[in-house]
Amino acid sequence: MCMYSLLSYYFVSSFIPLNNYFKMSQQQTKNSITLRGSAQIICEYLKYAINSVLFQRGLYPPETFKAEQQYGITLLISEDAQIKSFLTNLLTQSEEWIVKKKVSKLSLIILNVANKEVLECWDFNVQYEDGDAALSKEKNETVSSKELKKIQQEIRDVMLQVAATISYLPFLDCRCSFDVLVHAKTDCDVPEKWAEAEPVAIQNAQNVQFKAFSTGLNKVETVVSYKLID
Amino acid sequence: MAKEGDMSLYQDVLEPFRRVINTDPPKEKLSASAKMNFTDSNQSIKEGLSNLLSIGKRKSSLSMVDATPDKRQRTESCSASVPPSPWEAKRMKIDLIAAKAQITKLEARVNHQHTIRKEMQILFEEEKASLTEQHKRDERALSDMEDRLNIIRRREQEIKDELSESIKEHREYKTKWEGEKSELQKQIAELKDKLLEANVSNKDQISEMKKDMDELLQALEGAQSEVEMLKKELAKQTSRAEQCTALRTKLEKQTFELQQVTSKLKEIQYEKDSYKDWQQQAKTAQKRLTNMAELEKEVARLRATERSLRDSICNKLLLEEQVHQLTARLEALQPAQQELHEAKVKLASLESSLAEWKAAARAHGADSARALAAALDHALTNQLTAVAGHSQAQSQLAAVTEETATLKYERDKATTKLNDLQTVRKSQESLIHRLQKRLLLVTRERDSYRQQLDCYEKELTVTLTGEGGAAGSAALLAARVEQLERALQGYRDLLAMQDQNSHATVVEALRADVSKWRDAAEAARRDTAKLRAQRDNLQGQIERLSVPTTKVIHLADNPAALAHKQVQGDLEAANEEIKKLKAALREGGSGGCPDELLQIKQQLENSQIKLQRMKEEFTSSAQEYRDVCYMLLGYKVDRTGHKNYRISNMYAESAEEYLTFTLCDDGIEMVHTDYSATLEELVELHLHHHRSIPLFLSALTMELFTRTTMQQDSDEG
Repeated sequence: MCMYSLLSYYFVSSFIPLNNYFKMSQQQTKNSITLRGSAQIICEYLKYAINSVLFQRGLYPPETFKAEQQYGITLLISEDAQIKSFLTNLLTQSEEWIVKKKVSKLSLIILNVANKEVLECWDFNVQYEDGDAALSKEKNETVSSKELKKIQQEIRDVMLQVAATISYLPFLDCRCSFDVLVHAKTDCDVPEKWAEAEPVAIQNAQNVQFKAFSTGLNKVETVVSYKLID
Repeated sequence: MAKEGDMSLYQDVLEPFRRVINTDPPKEKLSASAKMNFTDSNQSIKEGLSNLLSIGKRKSSLSMVDATPDKRQRTESCSASVPPSPWEAKRMKIDLIAAKAQITKLEARVNHQHTIRKEMQILFEEEKASLTEQHKRDERALSDMEDRLNIIRRREQEIKDELSESIKEHREYKTKWEGEKSELQKQIAELKDKLLEANVSNKDQISEMKKDMDELLQALEGAQSEVEMLKKELAKQTSRAEQCTALRTKLEKQTFELQQVTSKLKEIQYEKDSYKDWQQQAKTAQKRLTNMAELEKEVARLRATERSLRDSICNKLLLEEQVHQLTARLEALQPAQQELHEAKVKLASLESSLAEWKAAARAHGADSARALAAALDHALTNQLTAVAGHSQAQSQLAAVTEETATLKYERDKATTKLNDLQTVRKSQESLIHRLQKRLLLVTRERDSYRQQLDCYEKELTVTLTGEGGAAGSAALLAARVEQLERALQGYRDLLAMQDQNSHATVVEALRADVSKWRDAAEAARRDTAKLRAQRDNLQGQIERLSVPTTKVIHLADNPAALAHKQVQGDLEAANEEIKKLKAALREGGSGGCPDELLQIKQQLENSQIKLQRMKEEFTSSAQEYRDVCYMLLGYKVDRTGHKNYRISNMYAESAEEYLTFTLCDDGIEMVHTDYSATLEELVELHLHHHRSIPLFLSALTMELFTRTTMQQDSDEG
């Protein structure tokens, strides 16, 4: 596939030099990622990661998921309307908060529906970085010069690790559901349809830290903690 | 423009001529002829000039100028033909001279004009050359331009060719691409076909699978229906089994009744036997009828007995009533007794629990209930105080953590101070050491100086005393040298000794110091480790106690909440259903499924009626069978137990006369009874000899019959 695209690129460029120049100029501007862009990348990652976890942990029947190509690997996305609307609501608001640097952590918790016991907690720690100082001065706003390809490579590594968790996470043998808790700063307003929640704690928890990825402006660490059954 | 330019150039060139011509007036005054000629010439010149001006042809004017000398020559030849007078000659000479002068002048002028002409010519030629050159240049430029034009045209042609070629190429590429495109489209179409096929196959597969599934579902349904049928059958069977058990119990009851009946029958038989006895007695009474008195007496006696019997019957009835009353009372009393028992049991359990409570209370030091309550109150107050103490302890903990922090800070300060002091002390020690050494050196020096002083004094005395003899002085000198050497040696030894000693002591002291300080440092380190652990602990506690810097928020309608709500709804629905079902169950069969129940009840009644009928039929047929057997074979057969049969003959004299048989594996055997003992002959003959029970029984019948008939006969006789 890569070869094909390369060939086609060559083919086009040999006959339409003007287009080539256009592409060149586009490529030059591509390497700057704004705060908004960074937040979008993170929210996209969160969407795929949450869907992946929902699929891997078997919270919803596998036939409600659809395969999609992203980050160079096949990922599964839920087609359930409720989940979709929940995620879009969550991620649009989260994007705003990440842009305003209000969020420190997002936690995807998996709990037993019968007694509300938290069985697993997937923490996505969001840290804020300074980006590329020189380029920021040039552009007159905070930007990063990290290549998108590299970021996607890093995200892919994390996604592969998430997919591998099925080998050691305990089997969920009860009816389970999930929720996403946003750890925001105390001065952050609570918008409509949102409510304050209790922080969760897992008894006898075991933590597994995954690889982190960074957009140059934000760094996201993924940690899963689960109830250790002895 | 060029012409105008030329014209102006010509005018410029001719200007000197004009000037020359205009500056001629003195010559015109010289002679009329000449004037005339010259005017002519002038005129001709003027004409030429005018011509030249009008037509612009130089050559013509120049030819006119050339023609003037000819005219002059002619005029000269005309004047020579006239004879000269002196005055005229003079005048002519003057004129001639003048003419000559004029000629020379004119010649000069002509020459000048020639030169001018030549100059002009040269100028013109130069001009011409320049013009031709310009012309040539122009031509060259023109040719260059033409060449360039040609080149450009050629280039244009080439470009046109290239264009056409490129267009051709473009077309070729276009056709190629179109071909490729069509191929790709074909491929796409193929792929689409394939996809469709795959879809169709998938659909087929899916339909097949669905069919399979349907079949399976049907099979499942069939199996379920079968299971239901089986369940129904099971239920039926169980009901039947229950019926059977009911039947069995009824049968047992019947058998029991049967036994009762048989027992009644026996009683009846017994009565019958007694009646026979009565008959016999009546016979005997008839016999005794002859003697009436006896009979009357007997009648009286019998009446008395009858009265007594009636009384006894009355008594019996009374007794029965009493018994009935007593049983009723017993029944009434039984539950009371049971309650009494239960109450006793409860009392016992309560007593035991009370004893336990008391023991527990005693164990806690409270003998009475009030003491226990007091103890409980005390415990509660203790708890409250403990909680208060806990909170206090927590506050103290916080204070202690602060104190530890301050103490740590102080300790750090102290350690740094200590280190400083140590370094100062070390330096001072070294200083002291150095000073001690120096002191030693100084004392030594002092000693040496003293000795030297002594020596000098001695020497002085020696020199003062030993001035007398030289030999004595030499000996003294040697002695002195020796003495001095000894002293030096002594010094050296002392120095060495001192050095070694002092060094060793210093090292020892330092070592001791070092070890001491090392110990101190170790202790300090341990302290720091302990304090650090404590600090970590306290920090952890503080973190746990401290308010979180972030707040947790989530979407109100998250999937977990929805799922929880749904589960609760389900739970409530299930609970309600359970309640409903429980209520239905409590209401009983009337509410549940009345049709089925009615049916079953009817069936039950039917079956019960059937059973009743069958029972009746059975009893009647059994009775009939027994009667027939009895009537035909003369024996009544009773089953007394398992495989035990008692038979009594029709003609037996009493109920005691019966035989018992048991059923064995290899036939039937007679059991020894009191009655059988009286029939030894028959037993011996038929059973032991003939080995036939029927024969034995028929023989017995025969014998008994003959006996009774004989008795009757004898009675009749």
